[in-house]
Amino acid sequence: MSAEPPKEPVKYVESAVHLPYHYVAGDYRATYLRALKDKRILGSRCSKTGKVFVPPIVASPETFAPCEEFVEVPDRGVVTTFCIVNIPVIGRNLELPYVAASVALDGAAISIYALIQECKPEDARMGMRVEAVWKPDGEREGRWEDILYFRPTGEPDAKPETYINRL
Amino acid sequence: MSRLRNVAVVGFAQLPTVARDEHRTSTEMLYPVIRRALADCGVERDAIDFQIAGSVDYMDGRPFGFVQALDVMGSWPARQDLHLEMDAAFGAHYAWIKMQAGEIDSAIVVGHGKTSEGEPERILNLQLDPYYQAAIGLDPVSTAALQASAYMARTGAGDADLAAVAARNRKAGARNADAQVRNAASPDALAKTPWAVEPLRAGYLPPVGESATCLVLAAEGKAEKLCDRPAWVHGVDQRTELQTLGARDLTRSASAGLAAEKALAMAGLGGARETDLIELMALTPVEELIVCEALGVDARAQAPSVNPSGGALCAHPVMSTGLIRLGETFRQLAGRAGERQVPNARRAVAHAQQGHCLQQNLVWVLGTEKRWA
Repeated sequence: MSAEPPKEPVKYVESAVHLPYHYVAGDYRATYLRALKDKRILGSRCSKTGKVFVPPIVASPETFAPCEEFVEVPDRGVVTTFCIVNIPVIGRNLELPYVAASVALDGAAISIYALIQECKPEDARMGMRVEAVWKPDGEREGRWEDILYFRPTGEPDAKPETYINRL
Repeated sequence: MSRLRNVAVVGFAQLPTVARDEHRTSTEMLYPVIRRALADCGVERDAIDFQIAGSVDYMDGRPFGFVQALDVMGSWPARQDLHLEMDAAFGAHYAWIKMQAGEIDSAIVVGHGKTSEGEPERILNLQLDPYYQAAIGLDPVSTAALQASAYMARTGAGDADLAAVAARNRKAGARNADAQVRNAASPDALAKTPWAVEPLRAGYLPPVGESATCLVLAAEGKAEKLCDRPAWVHGVDQRTELQTLGARDLTRSASAGLAAEKALAMAGLGGARETDLIELMALTPVEELIVCEALGVDARAQAPSVNPSGGALCAHPVMSTGLIRLGETFRQLAGRAGERQVPNARRAVAHAQQGHCLQQNLVWVLGTEKRWA
């Protein structure tokens, strides 16, 4: 052992943390994801208020009541709020700029996050009607990515009072 | 001891502990447990002032994982809430303190976490310092084995003593419907199980599993309305020690001893021997012997009964194991312990811990009567 301190002092200690996980989907998610394979979108209904949550959840965060009834909602809805993405996002290789939106599906009490395509950023607006574009038959796997994106339907815009509480 | 506010455990619910629940996420497991605990008290969520959770985000495998639990806790309209990255038993202490401050009259205390989704031994390694201890891969079994060796050297305890402690817990656990391991095992059989980390055998280690728990606490005036036989808190204290394993005597628990001394003094008792049962959170037989020594009781004696539930050696849902000790003492004092009921239980001690080798200890003393007139 040398009494001299090292000429190059140790400045850092590498401490790589490796923590693998194997998440349980849970019966609610499993039911929801399986339905996507059949181009069906499921929600669950609050036993107290009748509100439908998409994706389905076990209990209403609002009322604490159970949401045990699964209901199907259409694959179309309304843009409740949106933003225009001008910077690349990790894991998403899309032509910039593009529109990312909250979409309240018809009959759903809350919105889901959705990519909007076939839509110029300057045309995006709150109240715009959109529909899902699915992966073709045979290619859907029961994953969220089974919906490629949403696109405008060309229907008349929804009135704010129909979606303002579903942001 | 000046007069404190009488606070009681008035409800407790848990899921039976399992190795892995394939059907539910952590929060999906928690929701029905909170519903049941409240239903047992005959109230809706609105009747409760405060909510507090014990969980660990590393176990959930997501930053702010605890926030997801808010969605199943009845957190709306906006509630007072707190989360501890600790066993939920410590959350119960926090709620008790808030009641002493007069800020709240009632609370739900929940524990949750799916140990099967990640690798608890890797996660709990991260409780140690990243330079010297975590870096060499020490996990809780390894540190417990270091502690066991040192304890056995100090006291002369041998393999047969450890087997006897484990066997007594296993025998008790066979009567506990919420336990994960429910088959009794003889000391001889356990002493033949393979070494995990010598001197600890596989048969001396807890089955790491998952559950969800919910305890209801209420102050006097409200407690009597929520439960016909509340378990009143007579004393409580928690103490912590140094993190560095080499800087403390692993063969004793100074913090468990001091917490017990303070809690028992608050309760007006001369010692833990004056109680009818003790539920302690010991993750190895050696930890049980160390905590019993700190409490001044002999685990082999008939009274007080130690771990009538079978303890952590029969069920160890991480982050709930300590809260279950408190819940078990409530069940005993309220006469709801079923097959494992200790006859005429009037006073009990519940112990919880956190960290490697009994680093932090929490001791409760409870009774069937109010402590302060």
